Amino acid sequence: MTELAQALVGGILIGGLYVALSIGFSLSFGVLDVVDLAVGMWVVLGAFTAIIASDALGVDAFLLLPAVFVIFGAVGWLVAPLIYRVRTSKYALPALMGLAFTFGLATLIRGGLLTAFGYNPRTVRTEFFTGNIELFGITAPAIRVAGFAFAVIATGLFLAFLFYTRTGLAIRATAQSKENAGLMGIDVKRISSLVYAIYTALTAMAGAMLGAIYAMTPEVGLRYTLFAFFVVVLAGLGSVVGVMAAGLFLGVLQSLTTTYIGADYTLLVVFGVLFVALLIFPQGISRRGLA
Amino acid sequence: MSKPASGGNPYLNLGALAVVVVALCFLPMLTSPYYVRIATGIALWAGIALSWNVICGYAGYISFGHVAFFGIGSYATAILMQPDYDWNFWATLPVAAVAAGAVAALVGWPALRLKGAYFAIATWALAEAVRELATVVDVTGGSGGLKTPIRLDDNFFFYVMLVTTAIAYAICYLLLERSRFGFQVKALRDNEVAARAQGINTNLVKIEAFVLSAVIPAVLGGINAYWITFINPNSVLNTIITDQIVVMVLVGGLGHIWGPALGAAAMFLMQEQLRVSYGETTAYIIVVGAIVMAVVLFLPDGLVSLARRARRMRLVRQLLGRARNDVTPTRTEKQTEEATP
Repeated sequence: MTELAQALVGGILIGGLYVALSIGFSLSFGVLDVVDLAVGMWVVLGAFTAIIASDALGVDAFLLLPAVFVIFGAVGWLVAPLIYRVRTSKYALPALMGLAFTFGLATLIRGGLLTAFGYNPRTVRTEFFTGNIELFGITAPAIRVAGFAFAVIATGLFLAFLFYTRTGLAIRATAQSKENAGLMGIDVKRISSLVYAIYTALTAMAGAMLGAIYAMTPEVGLRYTLFAFFVVVLAGLGSVVGVMAAGLFLGVLQSLTTTYIGADYTLLVVFGVLFVALLIFPQGISRRGLA
Repeated sequence: MSKPASGGNPYLNLGALAVVVVALCFLPMLTSPYYVRIATGIALWAGIALSWNVICGYAGYISFGHVAFFGIGSYATAILMQPDYDWNFWATLPVAAVAAGAVAALVGWPALRLKGAYFAIATWALAEAVRELATVVDVTGGSGGLKTPIRLDDNFFFYVMLVTTAIAYAICYLLLERSRFGFQVKALRDNEVAARAQGINTNLVKIEAFVLSAVIPAVLGGINAYWITFINPNSVLNTIITDQIVVMVLVGGLGHIWGPALGAAAMFLMQEQLRVSYGETTAYIIVVGAIVMAVVLFLPDGLVSLARRARRMRLVRQLLGRARNDVTPTRTEKQTEEATP
């Protein structure tokens, strides 16, 4: 019984970070209309940037989180126009080419990281949040609790920006209909770049947090791409509540699999659940999933 | 992509294929075994790239999990050739084909009903799941892998690979460029709603195309497993294989029947040259990624479009205004989305 409760709590704590890294991804999917296959690579890049920067500067990795946000915001801002250009091009199949483009981007980043750092796993080390926190007989590593708290704050700020600012309104309008948003005087290209920049920044920051909990190698990027996608499929496009529920569910699913079946089976279980979900909701759980 | 003509003259195309294959059959007598091995590699990759072109270039569904079918085929052959079962090599190939086809049908059935992006990542997840499975299950030898009986006969593998790939090309050419099935596949790629309105069972056609594209790499994977005599999840289920397939088809020309062969030859030779010059390096992955991005941005129709564009320039100059309208690609994607808000 404690084992189960322990697994559930651990899962929810990790699930918070999955929400943080999927929520921007979901929004950029809605606005740019391209699934960014590099999402997992932003996670890994964020973690590696935190590791390298804290080694080089001698500053604790957690104090560098805002720097990670700024750096990847800039990177995303520079990459976004290319994706936008491919997506709005006059190619025969722009959606497919958009996918191929982000796939190339993901491959480029993976190759770069492998060449620079090899296959050795690395972790983000921090002086803060060591030891365990115990409550009602359930122990949780402090770092996971901190990760969850970070996820709640980051997601909360993101949602506040989205729902209580004028720019946020423009973003939501663009997600609903690019043409109508354009007619209302919104610069769709600029909004797309902005959304992509925020998304990469948020995801990289969540990656830096994840890197403190799990070891990172350039190869695990794919895993996080699949996780983010899993959340988006289950949540349905444009549903904030859905992303939260699906992210937490993913965390719990992973935690239960690790506890009762074995960590090696995580992706198999995730794929199995995804497969069943697609079978039950052939139209996609979101209505936009329609062909 | 646009219209791949009407597939051209079938006698000319198949005749050219036959001539090339027959000419290549003399290769082992003319060059050193090293070049025969390179030619075998090109034949292997040309076949795998072709299979990916079927689902992506023709049906318009991008699959990032094609390595799964290659791996399934490799393992089917390797497992059945273990001393415990001791099957004949030739008998294992149909098993490899059926296994991969069945998996494709099973996964494609739900996944192909969805928009392309969902399918893309579902197949990616499939590849990861298969790799994880191969690593933990006993019958595949786990991460240690499997050995197949050793046959030190490079020419044998060259001929088998060449003929298999050639047959695959002939079948795909006839099915996709010369038959009703090909028109159905292209129709659903260009506008699925309209295709359905024409009475095409688009879901079935998509699954058929996916199964076709899964069977080819499975058979080639089986041959490859026998050729390289040792397989493990890191060699036959490595994501780099998918990366290679994507870049080869994009470089050659998406949706063009000979594009994959061209791209496979170009990329494989480049890879070999890099390996000779700099050794086995992960920097190759960077090059692959950069080329994919560059091709998408600057040459979306691949190398084959260079020839076609040169030919078209004359027409464009003649017909000026009218030709430009004809050349403008259809914006079907956009219309489909508007139909389903």
